[in-house]
Amino acid sequence: MKNIINYNNVSYSYPNADEEVLKNIDLNIKEAKFTVIMGPTGAGKTTLVSCLNGLIPQLFEGKLTGEITVAGQNISNFRVQTLVKYIGLVLQDAETQIFGRTVEEDTAFGPRNFSIPKEEISNRVDEALSRVRLDGYKKRNTGELSGGEKQRLAIAGVLAMMPKILVLDEPTSELDPIGRMEIYTTIDDLRKENRLTLIGIEHSSQEIIDKADELIVINNCSVVWQGEPKLLFRDIEKLNSFCIKPIPVSIIGWSLYKKGLIEYDQIPLDIDEAELIIRRLFTDRKAMFTGCSIDLMASTTLTDDRPILQIKDVDYHYSSGKLALKKINLDINQGEFIALIGQNGAGKTTLAKHLNGLLKPTAGQVIINKKNSKDFELAQLAKEVGYVFQNPDHQIFCVTVEKEIEYGLKNAGFSAQEIKERTERVLELTSLTKFRNAHPFSLGKGERQMIAVASILAIEPKILVVDEPTTGLDWNGINRMMELIKTLHKNGTTIIMITHDMDIVAKYAERIIVMKAGQVLMDGRTREVFSEFQQLKSAYVMPPQIPLLSLRLKDLGMKDIALDEQELTTAILESLEG
Amino acid sequence: MFLEYMSKETYLHRLDIRTKILGFVGIIILVFLFNNPFYNLIIAIMIGVLALSIKMPSQKVFDMLKPLLPCFILIIVLTSITYSASSFKTEISRRVLFHLLPNNGLGVSAGGFFIGCTLIVRIFILIFISTIFTLTTPIDDVLQFLHQIKVPYEISLIITTGIRFIPTMERKKNLIFQAQQARGANLKGNGITGPIRAYLPIMVPMIINSILMANNLSIAMLNRGYGVSKTWTVLYEMKFTMKDYLVITIIFLVTVLGIYVRYGLNKGII
Repeated sequence: MKNIINYNNVSYSYPNADEEVLKNIDLNIKEAKFTVIMGPTGAGKTTLVSCLNGLIPQLFEGKLTGEITVAGQNISNFRVQTLVKYIGLVLQDAETQIFGRTVEEDTAFGPRNFSIPKEEISNRVDEALSRVRLDGYKKRNTGELSGGEKQRLAIAGVLAMMPKILVLDEPTSELDPIGRMEIYTTIDDLRKENRLTLIGIEHSSQEIIDKADELIVINNCSVVWQGEPKLLFRDIEKLNSFCIKPIPVSIIGWSLYKKGLIEYDQIPLDIDEAELIIRRLFTDRKAMFTGCSIDLMASTTLTDDRPILQIKDVDYHYSSGKLALKKINLDINQGEFIALIGQNGAGKTTLAKHLNGLLKPTAGQVIINKKNSKDFELAQLAKEVGYVFQNPDHQIFCVTVEKEIEYGLKNAGFSAQEIKERTERVLELTSLTKFRNAHPFSLGKGERQMIAVASILAIEPKILVVDEPTTGLDWNGINRMMELIKTLHKNGTTIIMITHDMDIVAKYAERIIVMKAGQVLMDGRTREVFSEFQQLKSAYVMPPQIPLLSLRLKDLGMKDIALDEQELTTAILESLEG
Repeated sequence: MFLEYMSKETYLHRLDIRTKILGFVGIIILVFLFNNPFYNLIIAIMIGVLALSIKMPSQKVFDMLKPLLPCFILIIVLTSITYSASSFKTEISRRVLFHLLPNNGLGVSAGGFFIGCTLIVRIFILIFISTIFTLTTPIDDVLQFLHQIKVPYEISLIITTGIRFIPTMERKKNLIFQAQQARGANLKGNGITGPIRAYLPIMVPMIINSILMANNLSIAMLNRGYGVSKTWTVLYEMKFTMKDYLVITIIFLVTVLGIYVRYGLNKGII
């Protein structure tokens, strides 16, 4: 197999920085294959690919040493604009990669810069759009596209320049599940063409495992692992040390392997393999699930039965007259941990915005801690309900982390002493103390998300609404965020979390509210809701691996579904040993 | 504030932008030829018929102008008292209608009143024709026109990106606004400067967001080969059709007629 890209002892440091962001990188990337780069945020993945088309050091200056060759040519001899004909780069944020008002105009942007004749541009636009399955979108206004469509358009815009190498830098991290599926399908289509060299930076393990030909792991500015993805994903210890999210079923496999029940090569990487191996273990030993273990672990909650939030017959119409919420009735008790799930556009965020009075119902009532949201100003309700929005960058207004946290406290009119004490407490709780004087925008996405949460926590609301707190975070960031939310919940805060990450829902939430087309489709204990596979499917929600696997094992005596790896592992081990 | 481009096709949409610009200039010449409000009213009626024919949402335009009503009254009052009656050419204009102050002080002349009316009719005509122009001219045509008159393509790119990002910025503004409200900010503000002061915190994240976006945008533009050469491929050509020639002829004839009426027949002045 021919190598198309070679990094030869490449090191790089940003201007005015002593620390290297890349350290002595030696790397080969194979032609016409799909290579995935993984690793925690800040490890240097984006920097690594930015060197490829000369953005480093031509746009971002700094010190670059070593040699990078693409198809045998040393790239330092070429301008960025020359290299982009050969290497196309698609970035994370689709919004800022679209310049045209119509899909056609945007796709044509690249070829137009190279003064390619009109007729050929038209052919290239058609071809590029069809490669990302956007045929028929030519005349559409780019502003009206969904997130997934925008990112596909960004890919088409690069494809229209007919590069030999396509680099996708976290193309899915800002997208909802449907948008992500669209991008994975697109990547799959392109991969099957067998003519492009594809390089992708990704966080999501489950999606890439059977698609990528080659996996490169970057950690602490160096390449720490390279090879076939399957070889790495069985080694849970190594994955943890690289801060990469393991596949849930392989964690079970790992425990079984550690107990000596299966071979290393038998550690399952997907749900089918897992079912097979567990069935084999059970038949070999003629075992059945004893089933008691899970019931014992059934979560004991701090819930008391007085509702802190009541939603009664709530309807909501947009100003356009479109119905967004229809006859919503919910009682939320003090101390619950609720996951609000459903497809984009199902009304989750609209409902959540009623919970702190950002939106007032068109009909019906929202009672927040005995206060009707209609009778109170938003500023008064803010003390009861904290609301963390989806994108941290829209909720950071101040120049230091400390001032950011003080912002809400000042609005609430606390005394200087109280503000100081609370700020300290929150900085401590969110481990942001070391960044207190830093400018929020100089920090990473994980920290910015933490700041957004911290600034709400300072107000010490009884109810906390968080909208997709883990989107765009790496495995480390996700765990830190969820541990924080769990601690808050333990201390008695009522949590209402909107999320698309079903693994998180299964692991942390006690109650699930599933929304579909502006209505509550399901509302119940996590275990009950995840057992209703068919109904979930109708809301376009894919239950996570572990509950799905336990459903499949029902005939082995599995009474209740398990929610996380630990539960299922314990159940399996107990049944096998008992 | 401004009315946006109407995507539904009307016969004005199908005209070449150059024809429309010519018509625009023609109407401006006609409007400024005559200072008699009745002549201008005739032009205004013609524009009104044009507006009706493309089903322009005229009500919105009037709503937009409503707050300016005090200004219009002020214009009439001021012109009525500042023009001296003797400066007008026609008999009727020279008449002094009444005096605001005793002893023949501050005379309100009929001519001054007419001038005020003309000014207002002119304002309406100009607003209507520019609205009609923006409603029926796609931005692509404007960009093409800029290209034709040799404006560098960077300029048209700035215009397109600017337009493209208006909804994005609007969305960001709303999100930031809500986030601040959720943290108990009082954005209503008290007193006259209150609302302005309340808006200031929005500016910080807006500016930072814009800079970040601009940074990403510049990377993305480089990624697509922007700046590789001084020109780029022109995708749309402008073409005159029979309809354009017909309209241009009409515009020309009407304008000439106007000039003849004004200078040949010496009509339309007061």
